Amino acid sequence: MSLKKLSVLLSIVMIASMVLSACATPAAPAVPQVVTQIVEKEVEVEKVVTQVVETVKEVEKTVEVVKEVAAEEYTTPHPILSDVRVRQAIAYCMDRDALIASVYDYVDDPEGLIMDSPWPKTHWVHSEDYDFPMYDPDKGKALLEEAGWHEAGGQRVNDKGDVLALKFTTTNAAFRQTWGAVFIQNMAACGIQILPSYVPASWWFGDTTGLARRDFELGAYAWVGQTEPAGRTLYACNQIPLPSNNWEGQNYMGWCNQTASDAVVRATNTLLRDDRVAAYDIVQKEFAKDVVSIPVFQRAEAEAWSSDLQGIKSDVTEYATTNLHEWALADGSDTIVIGMTQEPDSMLALVSSMAAQRLVDRPAKGVIVSQYDYDFQAVLQDGLSTIESGLATNDTVEVNAGDKVYNTEGDTVELAAGVSVFDADGNTVEYDGSGTVSMKQLKVTYKLQDYTWSDGQAGSVEDIKLGHQFDCDRDSGATTFILCDAIVDVTFADDALETTVTYAPGYQDPTYHLFPFSLYPSHQVLSDGRNLKDVPAAEWLTLPEIAETPLSFGAYYVKEWVKGQSMTLAANPYYWGGEVKTPNVIYTFVADTNQAVAQLLNGDVDFLDSSTLGAGSEVKTVIDAAKATGAVTYNILASSTWEHIDINLFVK
Amino acid sequence: MTTVSRPILDRGRAYEDKQESQLLVVLRRFRRHKLAVISTILILFIFGVSLLAPLLAPFGRDAIDLTSPVRPAPPGTHDMAGQIHLLGIDQLGRDLFTRLLYAARVSMSIAILVVLISETFGMLLGAVAGYFGGIVDTIISRVIEFMLTIPTLPILLIISAILLRRDVVIPLPGFINRLLSGLLLAPEREAQKVVVLVLILVVFGWLGAARLMRGMALSLSKQDFVEALRAAGASDARIIFRHIIPNGLAPILVDASLALGGVIVTESALSFLGLGVQDPTPTWGNMLSTSQSYMFQHPWLPLVPGIPLVIVSIGFNFIGDGLRDALDPRLKR
Amino acid sequence: MTNYLIRRIIQMFFVIMLAALFTYFLFTVSPGGPLAGIQQQQRRITREDLARLRANYELDLYWPIRFSRWLIGVPSGPIVIGGRELFADTPVGCYLPRDRQVVIQDGQQVVIPAGCDDYVYLSEIPKLHPAVKSSRGILRGDFGLSTVVRAGRPVWDEIMSRLPATLELMIISTLLSFLLGIPIGIYSAIKQYSRFDYTFTTISFIGSAMPTFFFGLLLILLFTVFPSMLQNTFPWLPHLPPGSRLAVRPYEVAPWLPRVTPGTALDHFLHLLMPVGVLTFFYMATWSRFVRSSMLEVLRQDYVRTARAKGLYERVVIVKHALRNALIPFVTVAVLTIPGFFAGAIITETVFAWPGMGRLYYDALTRSDWPIALAFIFVTALLTVIATLLGDVLYTIVDPRIKYS
Repeated sequence: MSLKKLSVLLSIVMIASMVLSACATPAAPAVPQVVTQIVEKEVEVEKVVTQVVETVKEVEKTVEVVKEVAAEEYTTPHPILSDVRVRQAIAYCMDRDALIASVYDYVDDPEGLIMDSPWPKTHWVHSEDYDFPMYDPDKGKALLEEAGWHEAGGQRVNDKGDVLALKFTTTNAAFRQTWGAVFIQNMAACGIQILPSYVPASWWFGDTTGLARRDFELGAYAWVGQTEPAGRTLYACNQIPLPSNNWEGQNYMGWCNQTASDAVVRATNTLLRDDRVAAYDIVQKEFAKDVVSIPVFQRAEAEAWSSDLQGIKSDVTEYATTNLHEWALADGSDTIVIGMTQEPDSMLALVSSMAAQRLVDRPAKGVIVSQYDYDFQAVLQDGLSTIESGLATNDTVEVNAGDKVYNTEGDTVELAAGVSVFDADGNTVEYDGSGTVSMKQLKVTYKLQDYTWSDGQAGSVEDIKLGHQFDCDRDSGATTFILCDAIVDVTFADDALETTVTYAPGYQDPTYHLFPFSLYPSHQVLSDGRNLKDVPAAEWLTLPEIAETPLSFGAYYVKEWVKGQSMTLAANPYYWGGEVKTPNVIYTFVADTNQAVAQLLNGDVDFLDSSTLGAGSEVKTVIDAAKATGAVTYNILASSTWEHIDINLFVK
Repeated sequence: MTTVSRPILDRGRAYEDKQESQLLVVLRRFRRHKLAVISTILILFIFGVSLLAPLLAPFGRDAIDLTSPVRPAPPGTHDMAGQIHLLGIDQLGRDLFTRLLYAARVSMSIAILVVLISETFGMLLGAVAGYFGGIVDTIISRVIEFMLTIPTLPILLIISAILLRRDVVIPLPGFINRLLSGLLLAPEREAQKVVVLVLILVVFGWLGAARLMRGMALSLSKQDFVEALRAAGASDARIIFRHIIPNGLAPILVDASLALGGVIVTESALSFLGLGVQDPTPTWGNMLSTSQSYMFQHPWLPLVPGIPLVIVSIGFNFIGDGLRDALDPRLKR
Repeated sequence: MTNYLIRRIIQMFFVIMLAALFTYFLFTVSPGGPLAGIQQQQRRITREDLARLRANYELDLYWPIRFSRWLIGVPSGPIVIGGRELFADTPVGCYLPRDRQVVIQDGQQVVIPAGCDDYVYLSEIPKLHPAVKSSRGILRGDFGLSTVVRAGRPVWDEIMSRLPATLELMIISTLLSFLLGIPIGIYSAIKQYSRFDYTFTTISFIGSAMPTFFFGLLLILLFTVFPSMLQNTFPWLPHLPPGSRLAVRPYEVAPWLPRVTPGTALDHFLHLLMPVGVLTFFYMATWSRFVRSSMLEVLRQDYVRTARAKGLYERVVIVKHALRNALIPFVTVAVLTIPGFFAGAIITETVFAWPGMGRLYYDALTRSDWPIALAFIFVTALLTVIATLLGDVLYTIVDPRIKYS
């Protein structure tokens, strides 16, 4: 036999043997089943083509049918999930304690992480225990029986012979795969078969794929809870993404419960906290009744620091470094080192959305308002400009056609026929083109305390003017201008740090009392001799004076930024809040969490914030070290991010 | 036609007889290279193990065992039923030994596929270029030169960053998908993504074979016997497939063996950087990549996929070296 | 020679242009990009907001126009000849694309653009893309602005801030690998089949086949992880920093060494040890093999045999006759290391968190910062082509037998 033949034969044998041995065990049965699932759905949509789908020759026809259906997508109720009993059964069958234990076995109080409404139990909007279905598999099984799904050989089938099998889509993050595994076990115990699909986050959260196109049956992901509960885009009826509205909105479940929808709309349009609490209460009750989305648990997040470090104020809604000026090392050392796995992209906060940026930005540029404990506190702002404080008024005004108003969609438009607005009583009114509508209009005066920039120049009202001018410039690079558009008039005091803003009628944002602009040093002269004030907004991002080492009115300022390595902060000698406890802070950029923890235990780094430490196995390392030596201290928080499983009520 | 081709056929047979005894000579010479022999045995062992992966594996490839509160857990951890995890479990609770077996299969399959396709393709192009010369040769040589000037790793990274991380899937006939999914023991969807990686690696993999074969074809096509064949009316295709390519096979074989090692390393490097085969499809590269994130507390982790990777990579190089010594004493280092 | 050079330079130009076009095209067809996922990040984003953000990254322009602007900085507005604006009404992009939903059979959906609601005309470019935010063209030395990694800052500044780290790493390891690899190669060749030769050929085989990332991890295990785990039993074991370029606070390597102050030469040295070790081992293997084989080739030549036959001392034969000729091919190949000085070592820099060019490129790729990635590819390709030319030219200088015409 020739060498050539030998080598060819050898390679054929290699490949063939691999294939043959593969046949010994079936390779991943999940996929073909998923395919059947999809085909079944198509059959449901268009009953006529039931036979057609089976035959290969007629594929062309199937395509056409699907295209026709495409125009009216997600309007057919889901054959299984549109039944509330099945949804409740899923919730009853889910053992949240086990889920939490699988990912956070180090958490002492797993109960504290369990969610029963779209808001964490510690949030002010969560006013009572909502009766959301909690772990009770017997109840779940009973509901399934009632819904016509009968046990048959470990599975459940209905009278038509359909198997109770559901596709479960989530990202391929290790953490989700872990609790996903427990979830699948839980469901299997109740006879619900789950077909997991762990997809890349880029697809699941893509702009035109996955979640955004409602391409799921059960889908798990997380929302970040905010100080202001919001929620209109998540639960209102007109926020269901559909082809007809160009997929706008985030009500991916397709949940339209008029009571809940009205309540959530009302809640986001009143400034009185009591009214809001009452309205959100309704939303949460309906939510627990309909079980369209199952809140699972709040994510834990951990911060850790060297036990020598004092003054840390851990909080879920505020960045840890906000009170950096109060931190001190027990040995009196003059430098604190903070480890971060991410590096800020720009010191211009307006264009950045990175946690790493905020962690530097808060101490090194200054804080106007802080957000501890799901609430707001004035820092540089001279008291929050609430209606109660007398700095704000919310009067009823008569609005005519052509006046600027804030409509129910959240856009500022001119009042004309067909525009929907909230009237003074909070009712939705569609303007008929004539007459007046009485609406609420906010007029707020914001005051700042005296401050001095890190170059010694005292702050002036010009800085506020520049802040308004830049923040609202379309070229600034900001993502949205909802607030800027809602401003109909703004005036500045002559010699005080004060501005008065009049918003469009109908604009009833609950955060109205927070100083709305950033502050920029209007006096700053750039290295090329120009005045910052005169530089076009489009150019700001390119300026090192803005993007890399900006002037600060905060406790520190950025002294040096060695790209890819570290950022050095020095105390701002002119800080309005007095002297800082530690004059130097270094942020060092570490390759990954594991290395960051190794450095913390070594003493190379003093502090790791929650965005760096996360909640993975590294936390355990930290806890073990803390117990063994006491050299490190940690804090585990129930974060404002919460995992949930959305249930898609409709199919294509 | 038959009368003309007859003597050629005879010559072919004589050539084969000569080759057969040559094979023994080659084998004898190859045996002298001790490291190459050891490498062959080790690689055949790993290969055999990867063939039997589904039979040997004690657990399912993606089965998550949540018994151990510590994840990753060291070798010797038991699951609920008391079954032992030979090499421990990874951060998700999956059995590392099982995944290692499957990874061997994926990594080896990728390497063999890439080398088979790219060497064949390179061989054909090189033979065509060298045999025909002229404009054909100029074009192919220019393309090779161009490909050699562009920095390979950065471009490989771009292509994989674009295709693999974004979940691009190349539509392939169903039977190929099924074949691959059987070969890799992975669901079809994962197999489809591996195909993308294979194709990417092929794009940069054929250059060596093409250059080697072009050189051989260039010198062979000027030799008298080729002239004679042409005069006798043999078609170009026949000359290329029956005479040029078989004559140039020896260096290609050496190149292929070295390339197997190279492809395994490149594939693992891409997967290591997170731009190659993605979890849950295991490869040595992506296992190494996740192990890096846990190595400070679990130092045995990188060794699990690292040792077979190093053995295979160095082994293929030794085999190539041994083959070179054995096939052509003049090429001896 | 001049003709040859001119021809080569023209060829080079085309190769570079092709490479640039190819990579640019790759980025253009790639899904995702700097705006991927923006709709998920922002609770509410209008079509207009999206269009404005797209325009920030010049995504409103058609890609050939974008490519030309990236390459040579035109068109930056209508062409003005004799006070008249030409082609002012030519559409060069789409500000507000209209998406159409299309469903394909297996339930997967794809969106294809189905027209445009607001075209960008040539006359609008100065307004939409003012000069300050536009590149003057990479051929004129302007690399444009970074999009994600250092939002809005010039790519050039970013490269300049990373280059020193890469130069440090690459120059040291290249020189070290020369210093070690060449003598080893020569000695192995002279003492062919000796135990020395056998040992070092095997080592260099392992060196060139060993994946650098695993070798890097192995070093970290050996010199960082194990010593710190064994701190109680063997406190004298030295413990090297596992990554980055400089420390930020004093640290201890071993009890028998003084504490290391950040920024000192010792600090530099300790951080360099492992990455330089990996790269040197890898390069050394290549060089010693190369020198060995070219030395063996030369030793077989007739003139060496003649020199020996003349009764010259072996040392003279080797140094005067063999060595010189053996190093000719080496010099021409050594030139090819030049692009590496810029590009760095992507894998090694990633393993050791070295803040150099390779890591910057990796970050840029994974975070879709196309301008940085493009600049990196462009400069690397340029340097590769120049180095190849330089190698060929050097060849004619060191070896007079070769002439290009």
